[in-house]
Amino acid sequence: MKNIPDKDLLLFRSCLVSVEYPGVEASTKFVFDKLGIDYAISDKQTCCTGLGHYSDVFNQIDTTAIGARNFKVARELNRPNLVMMCATCYAINKKSVKLLNKKDDLREHINKLFDENGLSHLKYEKDDLKPTENIFHVVDILYGKKDKIKENIKYDLSDYTIATHHGCHYCKVHYEDTIGGVRDPNIMDELIEECGCKTIGWYDHKRATCGTGFRQRYSNPDLSFTATADKMNAIADEDVDILVHLCPNCHIQFDRYQHLISEREGRNFRAIHLNITQFMALAMGGDFDKVIGAKAHTVPIDSVIKELKEVEK
Amino acid sequence: MTSQQKITDSPIDFAEDIIEDVKNSKDDGVLKCVQCGMCTSTCPAARHSDYNPRDIIERVLDGDVTIMEDENIWNCFYCYTCHSVCPVGNSVCEVNQILKQFAITNGIGYDKLYEYMGFADSYFTAAIGAIPEIFFEDIDRDVPGWWDFRQNLDEIRDELELDPPLMPSKEVINEVSKILTITGFKDKIDKIRESQEE
Amino acid sequence: MRDDLKVGVFLCECGGNIADIIDLDEVRKSLDVEFIGQFENLCSLNGRKIIRDAIFDHDLDRVVVAACSPISHEKTFQDYVKPLNPYLMDMANIREQCSWVHDDRKRATHKAITLINASIEKVKQSDAVDPIYCQTPKEVAVIGGGIAGMNAALSLAKQGTKVTIIEQSPSIGGHMAKIGKVFSPVKIAEECGMCLLNPILNELVWNENIEVLTNSKVIEAERRAGTYNLIVEQSPRYVDTEKCIACGKCAEVCEVEVPNDWNDNLSMRKAIYRPFGQSYPESYVIDMDNCSKCGDCFRTCNMKAIRLKGKPEKTLLQVGSIIVATGHKLFDMEKRPEYGYTRYADVITQSELGRITGVNGPTKGKLLKSNGEVPKRVVMIQCVGSRDEKPDGHRYCSKICCTVALKNANIIKHKYPDTDVLICYTDVRTPGMFEKYYKHTQENEVRFLRGRPGEVVKKGDNFIVRTEDTIKGEFVEIEADMVVLSTAMEPSLGTREIAEILNIGTTEDGFIKESHPKIKPVATDVQGIFVCGTAQDPKDITDSIMQATAAASKVSEYNYGGVEIEPFIAEIDNEKCTVCGDCISRCKYKSMSIQDDEIYIDPMSCTGCGKCLVGCKERAITVNGNVDEKIVATINGVLSKKREGERMILVFLDNIGYTAADNIGVNRLSYPESIHIIKVISVNRVSPRHIRYALENGADGIFIGEFPGDLMYDEVERKIEKVKECIAEMGQNSERVTFSKVYIPYFTGLARKLTDFDKKIVELNEAEL
Repeated sequence: MKNIPDKDLLLFRSCLVSVEYPGVEASTKFVFDKLGIDYAISDKQTCCTGLGHYSDVFNQIDTTAIGARNFKVARELNRPNLVMMCATCYAINKKSVKLLNKKDDLREHINKLFDENGLSHLKYEKDDLKPTENIFHVVDILYGKKDKIKENIKYDLSDYTIATHHGCHYCKVHYEDTIGGVRDPNIMDELIEECGCKTIGWYDHKRATCGTGFRQRYSNPDLSFTATADKMNAIADEDVDILVHLCPNCHIQFDRYQHLISEREGRNFRAIHLNITQFMALAMGGDFDKVIGAKAHTVPIDSVIKELKEVEK
Repeated sequence: MTSQQKITDSPIDFAEDIIEDVKNSKDDGVLKCVQCGMCTSTCPAARHSDYNPRDIIERVLDGDVTIMEDENIWNCFYCYTCHSVCPVGNSVCEVNQILKQFAITNGIGYDKLYEYMGFADSYFTAAIGAIPEIFFEDIDRDVPGWWDFRQNLDEIRDELELDPPLMPSKEVINEVSKILTITGFKDKIDKIRESQEE
Repeated sequence: MRDDLKVGVFLCECGGNIADIIDLDEVRKSLDVEFIGQFENLCSLNGRKIIRDAIFDHDLDRVVVAACSPISHEKTFQDYVKPLNPYLMDMANIREQCSWVHDDRKRATHKAITLINASIEKVKQSDAVDPIYCQTPKEVAVIGGGIAGMNAALSLAKQGTKVTIIEQSPSIGGHMAKIGKVFSPVKIAEECGMCLLNPILNELVWNENIEVLTNSKVIEAERRAGTYNLIVEQSPRYVDTEKCIACGKCAEVCEVEVPNDWNDNLSMRKAIYRPFGQSYPESYVIDMDNCSKCGDCFRTCNMKAIRLKGKPEKTLLQVGSIIVATGHKLFDMEKRPEYGYTRYADVITQSELGRITGVNGPTKGKLLKSNGEVPKRVVMIQCVGSRDEKPDGHRYCSKICCTVALKNANIIKHKYPDTDVLICYTDVRTPGMFEKYYKHTQENEVRFLRGRPGEVVKKGDNFIVRTEDTIKGEFVEIEADMVVLSTAMEPSLGTREIAEILNIGTTEDGFIKESHPKIKPVATDVQGIFVCGTAQDPKDITDSIMQATAAASKVSEYNYGGVEIEPFIAEIDNEKCTVCGDCISRCKYKSMSIQDDEIYIDPMSCTGCGKCLVGCKERAITVNGNVDEKIVATINGVLSKKREGERMILVFLDNIGYTAADNIGVNRLSYPESIHIIKVISVNRVSPRHIRYALENGADGIFIGEFPGDLMYDEVERKIEKVKECIAEMGQNSERVTFSKVYIPYFTGLARKLTDFDKKIVELNEAEL
């Protein structure tokens, strides 16, 4: 089991979390505080470029140069452990660290550009950060504090039928580093179990993409929504109440477009969509509006969670 | 039809170019492909379109550079499923991304990128990646209440007491714009925009 | 005083091969020794008399034979110098490394003088030593009682050797006992596996030279002078094998039911049980982990065979050789959850299918799904866990799974012609005669689809296998009601454990590594330990038996021939040794161990490379044969003949490099006269001190060559790098030292490298002038 830090964390802000599901950020902070995790947010950190990168607009050098800048921000704060709320930020940053460490030509090229343009303070030295030791997703950090979850749970959500959707860019890009596996990803299933609930575990298409496919959602919606429908149908077959996510882009695809895909498929999909931190914050007593950010959701959370039952101590 | 291989042809060069690309994390993986089809067996795009990851590698290994012009390559979801299961350690997903960058370098596919210029703009003006406004109309049509929600975003964020604010400082934005200029990103974007707005 | 030793030099004309180029008269004049003679053909039989007479007449202490290469005639001349000790003779190679590579008479003659002088100086440092003869005990331990171990044991026993089989489970027989049918390449048909195994088992049981220990494991091992002391722990069986008549009454009354592992857990057995019908020892056994200790069996047994009390017993077994036959296990399907094995009862492995179709299996040979129906379509998935480099997978091909799938497909087709069988493959690997069986399988209407499935899911009553048909280029979803996975073979737990206990090398995949994959396929990297069967790599029954008998044959070589060992090996001075263990960790040949609180060096495996010397703070180790002194003397012998303006390059090569250098001469290629080749027992023995000494005393360059297959190669390469740094620090040009790979067949490359290095030295000399 790899070593997971609980201090010196830089909570890496995500563009999609900020403007689509800000409650994910609030919930992450809420849960981190409950679990005694030492983190900070920086106003100097910028987006990872992921959305532009996977739309083929940004090339690797652009992304990695931006990455080098953000890594410097983290190091200057003495918070070398980056923790991401978004699966794409996680994959993008981890890949940039790997490339900067491994590919000398790329690192030297970027450093030279920095030097020649008055940005020497951004230079990245080999092994400034380590991909496995410094780059994490929020779920990793939660997993490291697994044993502390149970004692913080206030509400019992075990009556709901719960399934997990593990974002591809968390599980598959750096599969050698993925806690809970990639072929039957289950890190969130394990975390949910710590909240006193049981997930349905495996279901058809469990490891499949949400269907966003970056450009596919906007430029190729038929293909995109057909792929999403595979998964929505499988989830409906299992009569799932809550689908738990770890990536805001997957979250958008399911929450925002559930209505549209229901129409396309002629089937009423009714699951609500929560980020794992929202799920956990809810179970720990977080307020719907002040912590969970329920108003940002298209499928109303209270369409499924109508009342909360306290756990029997 | 008969295809010919001249004694002077060197089909493997194309794969070698891909291996050399900085984005490639799989060393010689592409050369080790045995066409087992496991990538296609697990591919969402192969399941629902004419995209075939195994075939892409076959064409790459054949040295068939016309693959860069094939519309199908734009169907990849970048879901990395092939990358995570390939038994010989290849990654069609990465090869696909490299092919597209090759295409762009060769002036192919500018139209595919044009719609996404909004990502470039948001980086230059705000150092954040925001969904391009060009799609707002579609989103508003497809997602009930999305526009209203976006109008209320500040209130929702206020209620969540999120700090620091959404927008980075001018200083930060300048630094990011500078980086994206010196990497050659800005020139590329200008060129794409020019070609499409002629 | 060594300088006072009387040395005789015998010059061989080699029928003109030497004398036509080298002026031997000049040579005779130039050397100051007790005796010097010249002969036409020294290796001919009368050479023996010439040399012996001269030794007696001149009272010679040492002999130098200046003739051909020691590679061709060292043994001959070691014999001809009798009664002198064979190690008091040295050969100066003035043919392969002088007259055959140079054509300038004058320079060749001077070089011959130099080489002979080097030999004279070297031989003065030699001492009389005797070769070491080792005779190992004849008793043999065979670890593992599967088909490989049984055959190895039987072969040895029939040659009169006492063998002990150590088997971990309650019965010998291994995987073959449960396989059901085996495939016969000759008959193009499936045969009953048990019917083939049983005669071997019976023969083994009745052979007086074989003792079988079941429920037993080796838990400790140590080696001393070719003897292995094995501590074997035998777990109690709780049933006296002498008394039990295997009537089965005990199992009838036992109320505890547990999954039957011999049936791959597809059926149940009792807590007191017999593994299978033909198991040996022919006795029941109690699975104490599951026994409720009710005593019913005890009360029922008429033979009073049951002993509910029992403790593991440790015994000492002394043997001379060991054969490791600890076998394989199958890939853990939890590692590939996408195929649904852990979720669905009707997704099974080929091994389980073998049990289901076996007449002594859980369904008495009927192919039935978990609901009792005959499947309509069976889809087989190949290469599960094999040819897969992803985490927990294996990069290798498991070799037998294609044929196993064909066999099981045929068995199904034979009994249930209406059941559709589809094999999803990447490549069908059926080399040799097995290709005929592949065709036979196709004739039986078994279908094949080329594609590696991505996942198996359940939809309604059926499974869906998602795959690409790569020939059509189409993504397909295939409905099936039974899925069979051809799982990889991997090293068994026992194989991994025994490798650690015996300290034998393994491959990156955890199989026991053979000493050389081509020429030593059953030896391990530890002397006296051999390997056979699937402990070494995936293979079928035929290959396992072949390897088993080969291993037995290698043991017999030891037992009947003994082993003669060159005496130049390390020795420990126990007065000085503090048993710090540094030498143990340094030795690449695993020769050193601690026994009875002292360092013990196994003469069978020590090569005299001298690596242990480096770390020994107490200087408690010496290597016999004055190797160090001989190297210094040789260097002096060469350099003392250096003339004004002459370039001298010293080339250090071990046996392999030296043979490559000889090949240059044999093929009449050439290199400059400045090249002086010095043969060493291991290039590791050339120390930084030697290199510096040579450079300081007139050598212009040092060339060190090593075969990359040598265990010490990396070590030597690193060492030379350090030497170069050190030389640079001393203000000398480090380019005067070079390290190079050498290969016997690539002598042209060596000739070129030597020539290039000479050019380099010329440049350096000119630059420094």
